[in-house]
Amino acid sequence: MSQAEPTIGKKRRSQSSDVPTSGIHSLLKLLPFAKPFTWNFIVVLFLVIIYNGTSVLQPYLVKIAIDRDLSVHHPNYQGLLHITIIYVVIVVLGVVANFAQVLVLQYSGQSIIREIRLQLFRHIEKQSMSFFDTNSIGRLVTNVSSDTETVSQFFTQFFLSMMRDGLSVVMIVIAMFELNVKIAAISMIILPILFGISFAFRNRLRNAYQATRSRLSAVVSFLAENLAGMRIIQIFHQERRQDDRFGELNEKHRRANVREYRTSVFFNRVLELVGNLAVAAVVWFGGGSVLHGAILFGTLYAFISYIRQFFQPINSMTQQWNTLQSSMVSADRIGKLLEREPSIQDKPAVERIADVSRVRGQVEFRGVTFSYQPDMVVLKNISFRVEPGEFIGVVGPTGAGKSSIISLLARFYEPQMGSVLIDGKDVRDYAQDDLHQVVGLVQQEVNLFTGTVLDNIRLFREDIPRERVVAAAERVGAHHIIERMPHAYDTPLVGKGQNLSMGERQLLSFARIIALDPRILILDEATANLDSQTEELVQQGLQAVSASRTTLVIAHRLATIRHADQILVLEKGQLVERGRHDELVAKGGLYALLAEKSGVNARVVSGS
Amino acid sequence: MVPVNPRTLLKQFMLEHKWAYIVSLLSIVLSEFVTVQFPNLLGQFTDLLQAHKMTPALILHYAILLGAVGVLYVLLYGVGQLWNGTLGRRFEYILRRRLFHHWELLSTSYYRYRSIGDLLNHAMTDVRQVREALSGGLNILTNAIFLLIATLYMTLRTVPMELTLYSIIPLLFVPVFVVWFGPKVRLASKHVQEGLSDMAELTEESLSAVRLIKATGNEEVEAGRFRLRVEEIVRRQMTMFTRSALFQSMIPLMGSIAFAIALLYGGYLALTGRILLGSFVAFTLYLTMLIQPLQQIGFVINNFQRASASLARLAVLLGEMPDIESPEHPVELPVVRGRVAVHLPTFQYADAEEPTLTGVDFELPAGQTLGIVGRTGSGKTTLVNLLPRMFDPPTGTFFLDGVDVRDLSLQTLREAISYVPQDGFLFSSTVADNIRFGDEFASSDEVASAARDACIYDDVMSFPSGFDTVVGERGVTLSGGQKQRTSIARALLKNAPILILDDSLSAVDMNTEKRILAALERRRADKTNIIISNRLSAVRHAHLIIVLEEGRVVERGTHDELLRHDGVYAKMYHLQEAEEAVG
Repeated sequence: MSQAEPTIGKKRRSQSSDVPTSGIHSLLKLLPFAKPFTWNFIVVLFLVIIYNGTSVLQPYLVKIAIDRDLSVHHPNYQGLLHITIIYVVIVVLGVVANFAQVLVLQYSGQSIIREIRLQLFRHIEKQSMSFFDTNSIGRLVTNVSSDTETVSQFFTQFFLSMMRDGLSVVMIVIAMFELNVKIAAISMIILPILFGISFAFRNRLRNAYQATRSRLSAVVSFLAENLAGMRIIQIFHQERRQDDRFGELNEKHRRANVREYRTSVFFNRVLELVGNLAVAAVVWFGGGSVLHGAILFGTLYAFISYIRQFFQPINSMTQQWNTLQSSMVSADRIGKLLEREPSIQDKPAVERIADVSRVRGQVEFRGVTFSYQPDMVVLKNISFRVEPGEFIGVVGPTGAGKSSIISLLARFYEPQMGSVLIDGKDVRDYAQDDLHQVVGLVQQEVNLFTGTVLDNIRLFREDIPRERVVAAAERVGAHHIIERMPHAYDTPLVGKGQNLSMGERQLLSFARIIALDPRILILDEATANLDSQTEELVQQGLQAVSASRTTLVIAHRLATIRHADQILVLEKGQLVERGRHDELVAKGGLYALLAEKSGVNARVVSGS
Repeated sequence: MVPVNPRTLLKQFMLEHKWAYIVSLLSIVLSEFVTVQFPNLLGQFTDLLQAHKMTPALILHYAILLGAVGVLYVLLYGVGQLWNGTLGRRFEYILRRRLFHHWELLSTSYYRYRSIGDLLNHAMTDVRQVREALSGGLNILTNAIFLLIATLYMTLRTVPMELTLYSIIPLLFVPVFVVWFGPKVRLASKHVQEGLSDMAELTEESLSAVRLIKATGNEEVEAGRFRLRVEEIVRRQMTMFTRSALFQSMIPLMGSIAFAIALLYGGYLALTGRILLGSFVAFTLYLTMLIQPLQQIGFVINNFQRASASLARLAVLLGEMPDIESPEHPVELPVVRGRVAVHLPTFQYADAEEPTLTGVDFELPAGQTLGIVGRTGSGKTTLVNLLPRMFDPPTGTFFLDGVDVRDLSLQTLREAISYVPQDGFLFSSTVADNIRFGDEFASSDEVASAARDACIYDDVMSFPSGFDTVVGERGVTLSGGQKQRTSIARALLKNAPILILDDSLSAVDMNTEKRILAALERRRADKTNIIISNRLSAVRHAHLIIVLEEGRVVERGTHDELLRHDGVYAKMYHLQEAEEAVG
């Protein structure tokens, strides 16, 4: 079986061997999250004791009824009535305690997970961009959603099972010894047998389950892929072959599934068999004792009930072994993430700006050298200065380092040499919150969120009033487009704005910037081809956005920056030319070449 | 092929395996009659003890009998359960294969507006639902019904009917409660799942936009949105746990009430001497045996309801008639030369309001190359999809070697055409498997030569395992251009009389495009090629170029003719010429 084991099983195994550190202590590290709920856990423990007590008492009460009231020579109906009433009270008490226990425990467990999730999310958000270069979003989403879910099982299922089932076993054992030491001692033989069988089957069950799971996911991905590529299958006339392949995968899944089913049926029936044989054995031993008058018949009856009560808790406890293992792995992943310090942080005693709108917006790069990885220099000794309110264009072929200028100005990364200054102060001396209020960014790709148009423009900030959003949309010429939507500003955007055209998305991102109103704007122009009408709209929007603030445009169309106050031409990480459009054209360098070849309206081709 | 109702399939399957079903169900039924002996034996044992007629030999006798009942029951029930479950899984397999087989017959127009996620859901969840009802449901139902009958029979035989009647009243609420409340628990758990995926989606959305969030200092606002989702999960979880805790408490509660009645009334009967203590003991044991089957009957009813809904959904899926099929009496074409003629007055998608193509009329002699250019949405892809009948053209509009494509068998037609899709769709198997897709017996040399001509060979050699590298998520992720070139290699290997490139060079750079076109000319000199392209350089040497605009042919001719004509084509050409210079 292990030979044919598909990739998923392997991955899981290698993953767990990757993290030798994962152990019980990775779970313990998360305990501080549980601390505020200490009392809840104590209450749970108390409720569990009540519940278990009532379950253990039930057979005992029946024993009393039999031995004291029923099987004596002078039957006692009054006594029977009392016992029955006590029985009902005990049962109701048990049910109520159990119900309350579930609620308290789950509430605590869920609250702990909520806190872990929130902290994890915040912590991930705080990481610098270099973190996101190396950590895939899919993995992080898994950390936030499923790893936390697995850990929550530790706080609920595992904890509960250890308490409730552990206590049950202990209480049953105590009750048995109370009743009759000899028979109780003999009955104890069944404990190791039950644990042994459970553990032996658990592993096989788990493996069988995982094999079925991975084969099922092979079936799912085959289906997904083939449904998506049905056209190709049909046009290449490969229906039969794909059908056979599907048959094979399906057959593999069926086999694994049948094996899993057999293992589980076998497991359950074996347990049942042991139970039945144990009852027979108790009858044999106990019957003799009753005969010799060593015990009363009711005691034997209680023993038969108790033996049957053993199975459920032991079975459930062995099941928790798997829960423990997977929650340790998950807790380890969460712990590692939480331990990671963001590589870019505010300076300890950073001075906050009282009024962000009073920042003038002067930008200076002073001898900046930068690389993402050592020995791959992206920017070499770049120096330039932009006066408040100026409009600056940055051009150059792909890989010239244009986008890195954005990253440095927004302090997504830090330069290896030189410094980036705003109003003469190093960006590293600003609080990040202030800096990001001063510097606004419009990216090539417009990020849209699940929510209304309104929320997308104001980025869900309740402190930006609706009027300001509408005004912003009006300024960039998006207002009439939005008004035409089914619910105007309250139209929900579906599928990350797939119901919008490229141009409309661009305009929304412009409106967003105006609503946020930063002093400095960096605009990474979209490379996509827009039709001429939208192009015009976008250009107008751009003009509206750049008015009254310092603007840096990473341009892909020369038309966009024709009227710029200054154009910076980058090539291979170096600033090779700078000046106004006319000056640069007259100079006859790289810019002139680009301008001549492209014609002013065409794109400056940046690779492809 | 005639569409089949899954219910019919199910009946057929059960008939086919009727003996297996009879044996397995019989074995379950038998096991129930065995297991009800258990309390009976204990009851007799008690009575003997009470009457002081017990001897050590008798004790051993009863212990052995009890042991034997225990073993026999486990064997009989286990065998029945295994057999039945295995059969159910076989049907699951058959149903799933049937579904895929059926999907293969449905045309592109079927898939156009269906989400793959939905279809997958049917194939996985609905099919599983049916299996669960078939194997688990059948096991449990047989088990429950016969256990109930056997238990009632045994109790009625040993104790007065009133005792059974009174005690069983609370138990009768169990199935009712399960049927009523079970779906509520299920619904609550579904809401939890939805809440969880909402949160995961938001996390993905936020982290994908993390640059924007950072740049706007919006971390706290995002954390606030995240918090809403997380709190919603907590709320939904609590609803679910409240319901399930209620569910799990109510059933034992009803059991215990029944037991209390038995204790009181049965005890009364015992102490007034109307029943023996042994009968009382046996009866209390029977009562506990009844709880489980009654609860299970509730589950099975829910299970059957869901399975029935699933069967209905599957019936709709399997009832979908394949809309593009081979004609009953196809025209034979022993050798396809590759002459294409199109006389299409108009073509409109079934769900569209306006025709996509109007008045398209051209003939392409075998061995020539046709270029199709035009803006996005001008109908180019529709046009080339009609030829291999990915969508059905009206009768008498598309001809291959002078025969209406609708009169040819799908096999003949599609074997004559090689097609490269725009997105360069590949399967997640090895590069070699993908290139061999049209001809699984092609030699490695043929694969390599197709790869060379499609200019993907060097790329492939740079992959960790060369042609054996797995592409896609589980292997090497290919760039758009690499995908396109690999799918060109796949089409070249098929070596069909007609090759269609559906804007398949869009992600390939200029130089590579030139090399691929040159290889095409070499390799397919005497064959028909149809090239759709936005970049005019790709169609420059075509024998005929047609320019589409809003579904109409606005210009036609060779490259030189069209330049001289100085219309749309010429304008596009000059614009692109200028851009290329910059690049």
